[in-house]
Amino acid sequence: MKLLDIANRYYLITLVLVFTIGSLGAYYVLKSIINHEFNEKLYAEQAQLVYELRNFENLQRTYYLNIGDVIELEEAPTDPKLSPTLKDTIMYDQYEKKELPFRMLTFSDKINGKHYIISISKSLLPNLDLIQGVTEIMIGLAIVLMISLGLLNRLIFQKLWSPFHHIIAQLQHFKISHPVPLSMEDSDVEEFNQLGNVLEEMISKSIRDYKNLKEYTENTSHEIQTPLAIIKNKAEMLLQEPLEEDQLNEVSKIYEAATRLSRLKDGLSLLTKIENNQYVEAQEFCLKEFLETKLQTFEELMEIKNITLQTEFIDSQKVMINQDLAHILINNLLSNAIKHNVNNGWIKVKLEKNRLTISNSGNTLIVPPKELFERFKRNTDNRESTGLGLSLIQRICEHNHMTITYNHQNEQHELKLSW
Amino acid sequence: MNILLVEDEKSLGESIVAYLTKSGYHCEWANSFNSASEKTWSYEYDCVVVDITLPDGNGLEVIERLKSIKSKSGIIIISAKNAIEDRIKGLDIGADDYITKPFDLAELNARIRALIRRRSFDAQNEIVFNEICVSPYDRTVTVNDQNLTLTKKEFDLLIFFISNQNRVVTKESIAEHLWGDNMDMADSFDFIYSHLKNLRKKIQEKGGEDYVQTVYGVGYKFTKN
Repeated sequence: MKLLDIANRYYLITLVLVFTIGSLGAYYVLKSIINHEFNEKLYAEQAQLVYELRNFENLQRTYYLNIGDVIELEEAPTDPKLSPTLKDTIMYDQYEKKELPFRMLTFSDKINGKHYIISISKSLLPNLDLIQGVTEIMIGLAIVLMISLGLLNRLIFQKLWSPFHHIIAQLQHFKISHPVPLSMEDSDVEEFNQLGNVLEEMISKSIRDYKNLKEYTENTSHEIQTPLAIIKNKAEMLLQEPLEEDQLNEVSKIYEAATRLSRLKDGLSLLTKIENNQYVEAQEFCLKEFLETKLQTFEELMEIKNITLQTEFIDSQKVMINQDLAHILINNLLSNAIKHNVNNGWIKVKLEKNRLTISNSGNTLIVPPKELFERFKRNTDNRESTGLGLSLIQRICEHNHMTITYNHQNEQHELKLSW
Repeated sequence: MNILLVEDEKSLGESIVAYLTKSGYHCEWANSFNSASEKTWSYEYDCVVVDITLPDGNGLEVIERLKSIKSKSGIIIISAKNAIEDRIKGLDIGADDYITKPFDLAELNARIRALIRRRSFDAQNEIVFNEICVSPYDRTVTVNDQNLTLTKKEFDLLIFFISNQNRVVTKESIAEHLWGDNMDMADSFDFIYSHLKNLRKKIQEKGGEDYVQTVYGVGYKFTKN
């Protein structure tokens, strides 16, 4: 949910609460003011009525003093000794032609020697109107306030938060391998300036670290290559000399070791490069075509071991992957399937939607399957193998958000890639 | 055939020059950017082998200079950097091939030969080795004037041997030549053996001689003797 929506939601809740409580409060305050006013008026009318009754001859049963006011006189045989009491009641209003709430003041008095119970009732009609009025005003206010707050909020978001959005937009497109320095919008908001500064610091540190690491990897591989090349080439030169067989063997071992070291270094620096995210440029890739051409290059090797190849390409979808990594990945998978195979064995390559399965016949596994993906774990004692193949495969898969699972059943091995 | 090697590393340069000279090339050696500029200016080589990193300049500039004087030399880059950008840049400015340190001398030699063959503009150019006659362009081989059907790898293997005749060629360099990085070393040796077995058999079937000597534990030697 967007910040703006969340803020608006809180505003709405607060407004509803405040306005309900406010409306109730306003209603009660207004009502008590009106009640007080009514009571005063009733008492004033009482005084007026008593004065008039005492001073005028003819008593009528009912008087209308103010329009809507009802006065009732009832003769009592003895003095009822009623002190003036106020109460709310419902009466029939002749003007409105319906039952309406009234406020009634009841008291007793002695007029011309007779005892009377007198009640003056005042229509409370305005009271209902009052509630309606208050509600209408409050709702009106609430709507106006909500709209203006909403607009204000939007304005604030667009104006005040614009540096923030600007930063986010840049961070979204930020790539450590192709860093573009952050450009900050000038803002009056201290927090945003702070955020900008902290980010800039963090990013330039990351860029520095990344560069250092990249340089280190490059330098190491670069500086190691030349001495390795010298060792290798000198050994190669020595091999051309007429040496004794055991001397030849010794030189050959130097040569082999240099070759292995060079391969090992290649593998490790490849792993580091993947881990450093140096293979970011992905492109669309038709896996089916790619597999077909790769399988062709391995054809001769399969012939030598007399391996039967079975392919099933159900899907010809395109995947997004870095081309170099795809080469390494498929090469490794296929060459693994061939080299760990047995003579007269089989390989099955199955491409489905979002899944590639390569299964092959082979010998029973010696190393626990989980450890196979670790660096330098080999299923054979073959020291010539770098032992990096499967961990390379795994890294490449992780890098491309693919999962790789290995299953084996006796002499059947299966590697499943899904994405 | 004249070859110029531009390489600042003394030990490496010595080996390369020695190997190439033995292979029948006239090989000159420039150990700096300046000396390379001088040599390329005054003489046209069939092939220039350039190391990218030089103490006093960039090997890529040597190539650019060669291109600017419209030199017809074939150019092979040697680099310790296996970075793709470098490779693309080098090939972009006109290099013909790219080889990464550490390389086998046999491999460098084979590449130089292939390059010179390509650049000699003679499509009919055939490589003749006694009764074996290889035509690299249409990828055909005859033995005693009879056609020989070889697989792609067998053909590559034969060319590699002939390019490095009379040399001990290690099984590692054969593996590297045939499969590059596609195969782990250990596994490829069996495959080399199989390819070689088939190649020998096919040549002998046509009455050809077996020129491949096994140097036990090391590799093979393709030789007339």
